[in-house]
Amino acid sequence: MKLLSRTNLYYISFSVITYLIISGSFYAVVERMIYSEVEERLIVERKDFEQFIRAHGMWEESCYFVENKISLRTVPDTLATFSSFKDTLMFNRYNQQLVPFREHSFYSKIDSKQYKVSIRKSLIESNKLLKFITITMLLSLSVGLLLLFLFQRRISKKLWQPFYDTLSKAKSFEVNDGKGLVLQKQDIFEFNELNSELAKMTDKISRDYKNLKEFTENASHEIQTPLAMINSRVESLIQEKDFKRHQMGWIQDIHESTLRLSKLNHALLLLSKIDNGQFYEQESIELGKLIVTKLMAFDEIFHMKDLAVEYHKTNDLTLMMNHTLADILITNLINNAIKHNFNGGKIHVTISDSQFTIKNTGEPLRLDPKSLFERFKKQNQSSSSLGLGLAIVKKICELYNMRVDYSFAGEFHSMTIRTTIA
Amino acid sequence: MKVLLVEDERILAESIAAHLGKEAFIVETVHFYNEAIDKISLYTYDCVIVDINLPDGLGFGIVDALKQMKATCGIIIISARDALEDRIKSLEIGSDDYLTKPFHLSELNARLKAVLRRRHFGGSNDINYQEIRINYNSRRVFVSDNEVALSRKEYDLLLFFMSNIDIALTKAAMAEHLWGDSVDSADSFDIVYSHIKNLRKKLTDKGCNDYIQSIYGIGYKFGAP
Repeated sequence: MKLLSRTNLYYISFSVITYLIISGSFYAVVERMIYSEVEERLIVERKDFEQFIRAHGMWEESCYFVENKISLRTVPDTLATFSSFKDTLMFNRYNQQLVPFREHSFYSKIDSKQYKVSIRKSLIESNKLLKFITITMLLSLSVGLLLLFLFQRRISKKLWQPFYDTLSKAKSFEVNDGKGLVLQKQDIFEFNELNSELAKMTDKISRDYKNLKEFTENASHEIQTPLAMINSRVESLIQEKDFKRHQMGWIQDIHESTLRLSKLNHALLLLSKIDNGQFYEQESIELGKLIVTKLMAFDEIFHMKDLAVEYHKTNDLTLMMNHTLADILITNLINNAIKHNFNGGKIHVTISDSQFTIKNTGEPLRLDPKSLFERFKKQNQSSSSLGLGLAIVKKICELYNMRVDYSFAGEFHSMTIRTTIA
Repeated sequence: MKVLLVEDERILAESIAAHLGKEAFIVETVHFYNEAIDKISLYTYDCVIVDINLPDGLGFGIVDALKQMKATCGIIIISARDALEDRIKSLEIGSDDYLTKPFHLSELNARLKAVLRRRHFGGSNDINYQEIRINYNSRRVFVSDNEVALSRKEYDLLLFFMSNIDIALTKAAMAEHLWGDSVDSADSFDIVYSHIKNLRKKLTDKGCNDYIQSIYGIGYKFGAP
């Protein structure tokens, strides 16, 4: 839910409740006032009535024109006094309607006879007044409420605008740019604080990121140089003739280990370079063509390991990718299919318009398939493999929004790469 | 053949110089950009080997200077930076080859000779060793004037051997020379072995002496036993 709609919701519900309470109490107050006014007048009439009785000693109906204005009813003689107010409906003989009246009843003695006297007053005028007042009041309140609501909405939008500006800038923040967000100074203290904190934070993130990037690259170069020296010395050493056999073996071990270190270093550098987005150049790559070229390059190895390779294409698959990365992706997958195969095994490559699969026969997987794409996870920890090939495959796939999945069915281990581009 | 080596890492420079020195190259070594600029303005070389990262400048500047002087020498760039852009830039500004550190000295040797061969195209197209002759324009191989039919990889292997006479070559160096670093080492060593077996057979079948000697644990050496 958006901030504005949330505040609006609170605002509306609060206003409506207040509005109802105010209207209710207003209605009650006005009604109360009208009643007390009517009752006061009834009491005045009662006094008039009692004065008339005292003066004339009798009651003449004809004194009043209005029907049922004052009615008398004999009641058994009692000493008790009685006085009450109540609402009642009377029948209007002109327009055939029941009309609300307020009635004041009391006992009175006329000619030593006890009567119950009821004086009535029509409420119809007062009711009209009440209705009118209430409607006017409700209308003006509603208009006021609506205006207030619209105003508040406008104000909130205007007030929160700097926040939304900052938000959209933060969204477009790229850690690769090497600099933090540039945000304008705001009039509102809180937003100003937010902006300056954001600017500080993003600036630090960018700088740290850049430092780390440079560190990884520099470290890798610094490692490469001594490795080159060791290698060159080892190569000079093997030109000498008077080594014993086992000494030659040691030299070979040193040589192979340094080569391995150097390859490892290269692979790690590649991973960090992909992370750093340093392979930004793209071109359209016809995957089928690339795979065929790579399969041909591996031909000798297929031959030597007696691997039967099948290639099947149902559709062209063209991707926008960096050429080097596409090359590495395919090479690593093929290498993987060869490495974990056995002599006389099979490799099947299939391409369709949205995915390609490289299948190979081989020993059952002993690793957890989920950890297959993690760095340094190897089927056989002592093997000469670096354990980075599939991690690099995964990283390249992530870079281009592709998905790589491992599955095992029948005799085949499959690596399937699904592209989002159809 | 005179070669100028511009490399600031002294140990590496020394190894390269010693290695190339065996091949009758006269190698002069400098460690700084400015020294290199002085040298190339005073003397002419057949080939200049330049490291990109020098303490007082980038090796690219030396290549530019050579190009401005219209020098005819070959240029090989060596660098610890394995960035595609560097590789492309090096070739664009006119260097002949690009090698990423760490490299095998035998590989540098072979590349150097290939560059020199391309540069001196006015001369002979042939490389000779005893009774073996390689015509590298037509990629044909003769043993005492009898042609030997070699596969592509066998030819590359023989050329690599003939560029590194009497030098012990490791299996890794040979595998990398033939396939680059894309093929896994364990498998490629076996293929190197089978190629060598075939090459040896094809040459000796034509009456050639067997010059390929295996060195225990290390690899092979091509030369007179």
